[in-house]
This record gives sequence, structure tokens and C-alpha cells, in this order.
Amino acid sequence: MFFLTYLRRELRRRMRQAIFIALGLALGIGLVVTVTAASAGVRQAQADVLRSLYGVGTDVTVTGAPPKPVRPGSAPPKGAQTFQIGPGGAQVCQNGKCHNPAGQTIDRLDSAGYRPISQSKVAEVAKLSGVKAAAGGLVLTDTSITIPKKFGQPGGPLPTPNSFTVDGADTGDLGLGPLSAGTITSGRSLHSSDGTSNVAVVDSSYAHSHKLKIGSTVHIVKHSFKVIGIVAQPQGGNPPDMYIPLARAQAIGTAAGKSLKNDVNTIYVTAASAAVIPAVQAEIRKLLPGDTVTTAASLASQVTGSLSSTAKLANDLGRWLSVLVLIAAFAVASLLTMAAVARRVREFGTLKALGWRSRRITAQVMGESLVIGIVGGAAGIALGFAGAAIITAVAPELSASIPGSNGPRIVSVGGGAAAGRAFPQAAAPTVAVPMSASVTVAAIVAAVLLAVAGGLLAGSFGSWRIARLRPADALARVA
Amino acid sequence: MYQLTDVTKLYATGKRTVPAVRDLSLAIGDGEWLAIQGRTGHGKSTLLNLLGMLDRPTSGTIEFDGRNLTRMREARASRLRAESIGFVFQTFNLVPTLSAAENVEAALIPLRAGAAERRRRVEAALESVALADRARHLPGEMSGGQQQRVAIARALVKEPKVLLADEPTGNLDEDTRDEIINLLEKLWRERGLTLVLVTHDTAIARRAGRVGVMSKGLLTIQAGTRPTHAGDPVTG
Repeated sequence: MFFLTYLRRELRRRMRQAIFIALGLALGIGLVVTVTAASAGVRQAQADVLRSLYGVGTDVTVTGAPPKPVRPGSAPPKGAQTFQIGPGGAQVCQNGKCHNPAGQTIDRLDSAGYRPISQSKVAEVAKLSGVKAAAGGLVLTDTSITIPKKFGQPGGPLPTPNSFTVDGADTGDLGLGPLSAGTITSGRSLHSSDGTSNVAVVDSSYAHSHKLKIGSTVHIVKHSFKVIGIVAQPQGGNPPDMYIPLARAQAIGTAAGKSLKNDVNTIYVTAASAAVIPAVQAEIRKLLPGDTVTTAASLASQVTGSLSSTAKLANDLGRWLSVLVLIAAFAVASLLTMAAVARRVREFGTLKALGWRSRRITAQVMGESLVIGIVGGAAGIALGFAGAAIITAVAPELSASIPGSNGPRIVSVGGGAAAGRAFPQAAAPTVAVPMSASVTVAAIVAAVLLAVAGGLLAGSFGSWRIARLRPADALARVA
Repeated sequence: MYQLTDVTKLYATGKRTVPAVRDLSLAIGDGEWLAIQGRTGHGKSTLLNLLGMLDRPTSGTIEFDGRNLTRMREARASRLRAESIGFVFQTFNLVPTLSAAENVEAALIPLRAGAAERRRRVEAALESVALADRARHLPGEMSGGQQQRVAIARALVKEPKVLLADEPTGNLDEDTRDEIINLLEKLWRERGLTLVLVTHDTAIARRAGRVGVMSKGLLTIQAGTRPTHAGDPVTG
């Protein structure tokens, strides 16, 4: 076919220029693909963080309002334990009665970060318009401290706290909550029949670090729980260390010294559709004023740390850098194509004298530009894959901090508000997130479209010039 | 074939207007060989461009086989050029990336002839200029004379009615010049072409049926010395 023969010969003649234009386009497109891949990786990391916190299918999460900060000098709530360190050493006081705790181990399973919500509210939430399902849960922290005998005395040793997180999962509805996001790697998950049993499913990382396996026993506030399953949560998340039946968590857990029987501190809600999530959020706020109602979207906006910075970097700087490089590449391609057309004026004038119509010559030039664009696009996709691979290989692990989320937190042994005097009550959990960039099909499609657009844009400038070219002028210019 | 009436072509150069062709009236008969002489810049090539519809007159009319070219749309003019008018240029104007055969084939592309038909006609055209053995050579691999013969084959492959040659021997040595002119004369005779040839060379001009001299845009027709190959009377 003459069109292809002419196109091939012409590209071969100005091979160096064609390669230069293609490389320029490849650089721009490669950058777009890399940035898109990095953005996709960051978004995936964010999704993993959120998924591990809330579980699969959770659209809205309700958490009990955080306890009010304690004013210095005020009396501790009823039932709360406080430390007092005086000349005689340390004392633990509860309801006005104090004793020396030296040598004792204090172990509590506490809902320090959130105030409890009555379990009856879960059913009320489930009945709200737009709510597909709702399940309650308890996010608790088991903290044990062994008080040294000479604690509080000058030169005496400090107590060493030991804590792990426990999630009370509703065995009647295990499709919601953090456990739903995990994959059982050994043993089994909780069943509805486990409601009152002392059984636990342990996170794989915790199980590995504490050498736990199926059949092992873990102690939660002096109660023995049998490990029945090991669960692996998505990378990047910061899951609870173990999951126990909600009823057992309610029985042994406390909040500010009070039992959590018939209470939850978290409600996981699935909306009927994505469109109704804001309405559901508003309805729940009306029903539970004072409690924190969070959607995945609002939580994502609260994510801070290097993950958030990287997301901003990829979305803002990366996008604009890509756009600038692309504009530069398109401009260079267009200018070089116009220069090539200028050098071929005599050729095009001759073709017009032979009876070639402008659109036929234009098609020839557009075809050449398109081929250069497609070659640049293919090279750009290859560069994009390479860029994504380099990012995955060398990018440092990112961190994400989620204020107010139900991740692990450092909690004092005193429990409740009073405990804030001795130890930090709660901290925004920071989780490590591996950074990976993967090239998506959408990115490849975008690259191909950009390549075609770049080729057509460059060709159209040259074609515009050809269309305006009068054959006599073209021939006179070189005569 | 051609009827030019009061044709004027003006060029604007800055604020000045330069007349390249002035009030030219001329009839060119079928099968005639008209040679046009004149000094550089006196309007020879402009006249050739007007005859080939590569340019439009500022005023006056040009008729080709009874059709008014001055009002013809560009698409139709392209079609007419593709079907009826062949060009030969002083600098050959071959596409440097295409072989001799492909350069000749380029003239058949606007005619939308099939690939087999194109191949057959290209072979015949190259045969007619004795370059069948150079079909695959690029212009850069051929001498000036050979390149001009390829250009002639390109002009004639579509079997045009008119051949417009703008100093076809201007870039050739003396021997090659004679070779090319002999070839053009042979083809003119054999194919019944109308040949309009611009040349500085008086010896070549003398071989034409009529000679016109362009001076400052005005054409003066000298007395005809030879009849057309068809024996038709020449008007001027």
C-alpha cells in the first residue's frame, strides 16, 4: 500500500527526529503512567488501612464519644482506680479506699477511648431509613501492669505496662466489623455458637510474635481463652490483636470502672447504597447525638502521616508535573513536525502539482505523526511500568495516623478518665503502610489516548500549514 | 486546448504590486509545442503555473478544453491536474525517500487506480524512458539525467493531454540535455501531447512549433517555424 510505503520511508529518513519526538512523548506519558500508578498504590494503601479498621462493607461507623478530659483536682468517677505516689510509696485508690499495690498485677480490659453506647441502639440504627445492616462491637484494650515492690520510692523501679487490643465481635453478624476484612489462615473464625465461649481468633502478626497457635491459651483479664483461629488482615492496616465473642467482651470489659454488659462502643453500619451514606450519617447523628459518626470518606480525609503526604504529592505535584511535561512534549512534537513540514514544502508542492489533494497529503503527515505518537506511547507505557517498579522497589514504608479511629491505643491501668493522670489516655494510631505502585488498565488506556492525542496534535499543526500551502508558492520557494 | 484572454497576474511585494504577466491573450492548439523564452523574472514560470492551475490569474480568463479554469474549485482543479496535466521541473522534484517506480506511481495515486494497474503503467512508463532497470533505485542513486527521465515518466504515466516543462534541461550537462530534449520530442510526437516548454536555450526553442518571448510580463509570439505533429495550424 502506497500510503504505508511512503510513511515508512519518510520516518526512516528522519529517524533521529522521529526518535526524539517519540522519546519526548514517551517521557511525558511515562510520567503520567508512573504518577497514576503511584496514586493508585496510595489509594489502595488508604483503602487497606480503612478496610482493616472497619472491615469489608462498612459504610458508616459510630463510636462512643471520647471521655471528657479530667480537670486537675476533681474527684475520680465512681469505681475508677487512681494512683497516688507519696512519701510512703505508691497507692492504688478506688472509691476512697487505698492500698499499697506493691508486687500486685493490675489487669483491665478497658474501653478507654470511647464511652459506651447501649446495645439497644444497634437495633435502632438498623431500622433507620437507608440502613441495610448494623452490628455492634467493642474495641477494648487489655492492659496489665505489675507494680514493683519499691515502686514510688526514691530510686525504685518503674512498672512496665503490657497491653494488647481485643475486639468484641458480634457472633450473630460477623459480616461487618474488622474481622470481616481478614482471611483465616489457620483454624476457624468465630461462629454464632461461640457467643458465650472463651474462644479467640488471633491476628497472625500477634500470633507470630507471641508464638501462639491453634489450641494455645491467651489470658484476658485473668480469663483463659482458647485460640481457635489465626486471621491475616490486609497489609497496611493496624488490626486488633485478637477477636472474642461480643458477649464475653461485654462480660469482662469495663469503661471508667463500670461493666460493659449490654453495651457496645462501636456500631458498624452498611448503607443500602453509596448515594444514601450522607443521609444515613445524618440520621444516625440525630439518633446518637454526641457520638462520633464517621464514614469511610470522612475518615480518609483524616488520615495523616507520610501516607497522606504521599497521596497529596502524587495527586497534586505529580499530576501537575505530568501535565507540564506532557504539554512540553506535545509542544516540542508540534514544533518539530511543523519544521519537518517546512523542509518538505517542495515535496508537498510537487504532490499538489501531481493532483494530490490537500487532505491526502494531510493524511500522510497525520499518519506519520500518529505512528510517532503510538511508538512514544508504547515506550511511555514501558517507562511507566519501569517507574512503577522502581517506586515499589525503593519507596520507603509509609505511615498513616488516623485520629479518633478504633485502632490500638495506649491506655492507663486506672481506667476511665482518672487514668489520664498516670498515663496518656489515647493516641492517634500510626500504622506502617507498604508503598506500592501498580499500572492499571485505565492508566494504559489513558497512555494510548494521550499518545494518539499527542500524535494528532503534532500532525494537525503540520496539516494546517499544508492546507494553506498554495502549490505555486511551494514550488516558487525553491525554484 | 488553451484559450487565454487578457490574463494578468500581479504579485504584492510589501507595498508594491509587481505584474508578472500582463494582458496576455493566447491560444494554444491541441498537439502544439510552444516554447517560451525570456529572462529570469519576466513571467515565464508564472505563465506555466497559470496553465497548470498551480496559480490563479488576478484578472482575465483561462479556458482549458472549453472549461473556465479561473472559476474552478481547488478540488476540481486537483482532479484536472491529476488527469490531464503533466509537469516536469528544472530540479526534478522527485520525492527523495521513494524509489524511481514509487515516484512514478505517486502520479497515479489521485486517479485511484488499482495496485496491479498502477504497477503495469509504472513499468510501461519507465520502459518508455529506458529506465526499467532502475525502478528500485532512489533518486539519490541516479544521475541528473536519469532523475529527469524519471520525472518525465512520472509526468507521462497518467497519459496527460498537456505536458508543462519548466526548464527541464536547466540542471543538466550538454549531452544529457540533448538526450532529454530528444526524449521529450519523441514522446510529444508519439503521444500527440500539447507541450509547453520554458527554456533559456535558443537551440531547444527552435525545435518547437512556436516560440514566445516573455519580457516584463508581456508575451510576444514569434513567427511559427514548424507545424504541430498533427499538422494543425497554429494560432497566436
